[in-house]
Amino acid sequence: MNQLRRTFLKSSGMAGAVMVAIGAGLLKSGEVMAATWNKLAFTSNNIADAMKNANYGGATESKDIVITVPDIAENGASVPVEVTSNIPGTTSIAIFVEKNITPLAADFEISNGAEPYIYTFVKMGQTSQVRVAVRAGGKAYTVSKEVKVTIGGCGG
Amino acid sequence: MKMNNSQLMLFVLAVCFSFAAPASASESGKGKKAAQLELKNPAYAGPWERYKGWPETSWSEFSTLQKIVPSPIGKTIKIKGSIEGDPKKGEKLAFDRSRGGSCLACHVMGNPIPSLPGNVGLDLSAHAIWGRSDEYIFNYIFDPRKTNPNTVMPPWGAHKLFSVEEIKDIVAFLKTQKTHSVFKDNLENPTTRPVPEETRDNLDPFVNEAMAAMEKGKELYSREGPNKQSCTTCHAEPERMFKSWAAGMPKYESCLRKVIGVEEFITRHARATTGDDFLMQSDENLALSVYLRFLTNGEPMNVDAKSKDHKLAIKRGTKLLNTKLGQLNLACVDCHTAEKGGNKWIRGQWLGEFRGQMDHFPTWRTSRSEIWDINKRFQWCNVSVRANELPPGSPEYGDIELTLSVLNNGQKISVPGIRH
Amino acid sequence: MAEEMKMRATLQGDITDVKVRMNHIMETGARKDPKTGKLIPPHFIDQVVATLNGKTVLDAQWGIAISRNPFIGFKVKGAKVGDKIVVNAVDNLGTKFSGEVAVAAR
Repeated sequence: MNQLRRTFLKSSGMAGAVMVAIGAGLLKSGEVMAATWNKLAFTSNNIADAMKNANYGGATESKDIVITVPDIAENGASVPVEVTSNIPGTTSIAIFVEKNITPLAADFEISNGAEPYIYTFVKMGQTSQVRVAVRAGGKAYTVSKEVKVTIGGCGG
Repeated sequence: MKMNNSQLMLFVLAVCFSFAAPASASESGKGKKAAQLELKNPAYAGPWERYKGWPETSWSEFSTLQKIVPSPIGKTIKIKGSIEGDPKKGEKLAFDRSRGGSCLACHVMGNPIPSLPGNVGLDLSAHAIWGRSDEYIFNYIFDPRKTNPNTVMPPWGAHKLFSVEEIKDIVAFLKTQKTHSVFKDNLENPTTRPVPEETRDNLDPFVNEAMAAMEKGKELYSREGPNKQSCTTCHAEPERMFKSWAAGMPKYESCLRKVIGVEEFITRHARATTGDDFLMQSDENLALSVYLRFLTNGEPMNVDAKSKDHKLAIKRGTKLLNTKLGQLNLACVDCHTAEKGGNKWIRGQWLGEFRGQMDHFPTWRTSRSEIWDINKRFQWCNVSVRANELPPGSPEYGDIELTLSVLNNGQKISVPGIRH
Repeated sequence: MAEEMKMRATLQGDITDVKVRMNHIMETGARKDPKTGKLIPPHFIDQVVATLNGKTVLDAQWGIAISRNPFIGFKVKGAKVGDKIVVNAVDNLGTKFSGEVAVAAR
């Protein structure tokens, strides 16, 4: 759980009670979305700020994060991004599109047996590095790969 | 369009028995019972209006598939001495995508070269050392047909895409192109860029959102219409009865005196039988079309090329495929045959040949989040070359669909497809 | 209307492969209405939580760059056939979406 969410849950004074309630099957899990959306990170308009505000500041480059993306995306509205982290103890995976106006696309926390793996589709405004950052053992790691976004010939 | 009972009665009066239909349930042993088709009303929501979100310009002063507007080739425009245009302005104009696609769509040029240029035309990065006169370059851009009658290049000046002054600026820019192209990597270079391959599993509903339409089509198939009948009433086992039907479509329909595809057949047959009014381009029509083609998956396309009516349709279709259309003055063959622009890059998009383009329609377009049938694809091609599109089900689209389908005979059907 | 979430969970060895497709416009707020020229307000799923038998396995926050009709694939270790995977999502306007699926053998 990132700092923001932990703070939020603590300040709400509900965290413990919510956990207990779920454990007892009293709540539908739809009601657990107590965390606040990390507005600061999602509205940061450059990659450095977006990474810092999403708690991946000062990340070390690592080849142990594997990103699968197309070299050329025929459709910038839907670019497949598949990520596997081979770094032991990975607890979160974030996807950034460096040249998007707001680079942070998504931040996934994984727990309770989830594998350090995510597959999703992102929007890209133009050719850009797709950067993935992970947290493992309290440290941040990152790697990126360029995706060229096709520009249509006659406009479609 | 909602219909009342008297309109439905009219439908029944204007019904034709089509032999383009699959055998119905009453078929026993020999002889096929003909299917009923409603004939009176258009199969699309009329009057035809272009889709929301598409360009709104009307290009009525240029040719469409239905109406040829003469485009005379003018005389060479004399230029005295050298052209003193503004190369900076010229570069901006050359790269402007709002004027019918930039020069980069077909040519390599620029310092540095912008991302993913095309190679339908020549590499112009060292054009300035070719020794062409300013008059020659100006006229080639204004109307290349004067010099090269077989060119696919649009007549930028003659068709008013650029003014005389703007073309002079573009000439000035071309005069700055003195060094042979150097590319950042082999993806940027259109001659080494790998040809895209479609490898997605188009029948996985998590990959292809159009699979939901297939499911919807399956539901509609057995849903009773206003006449208390469903498709099931006459065609009880769709998997068996429609295993190859759609692979033989489109067909010439003598009652309508035109070629009709699966989509128009659905509209007219449903009106005459179940009483449903599944207009072309409606969600219901697309869903049923996807479903009926899905049932033929794995079958080779098998459209008749030998009957008299089909031979005539192919003759008309071939002529249409060679007809110059729109402000960009492009014929289908200009972009989709290897002799011309086919198997080349138009900017970052690969221009495929006719063969291989028909086996996956209706198809999911990821860039639009929509299912497109072949009519909508044709309409978009028209609008892309700045020609007014025709309504779905127009006879010209039928002739083209039939001609292209025959060229694709033997290709295995895989519907719904998925494309960018 | 299409269902709001389509899910599949397949056990392969000891790893369960989960696929989720949601129906959502995922409007970025940067797109203009071609008719009016005005910006279309943002409308996108911003939080997604997946649970296995009630325990959170994935807790995600999304921005505007996730594609329309979002897809997520993830993998969980230790699930058995019949175990329940639930996904809950909420968008920036507070609308909630959910889906569930039982883990199936391959």
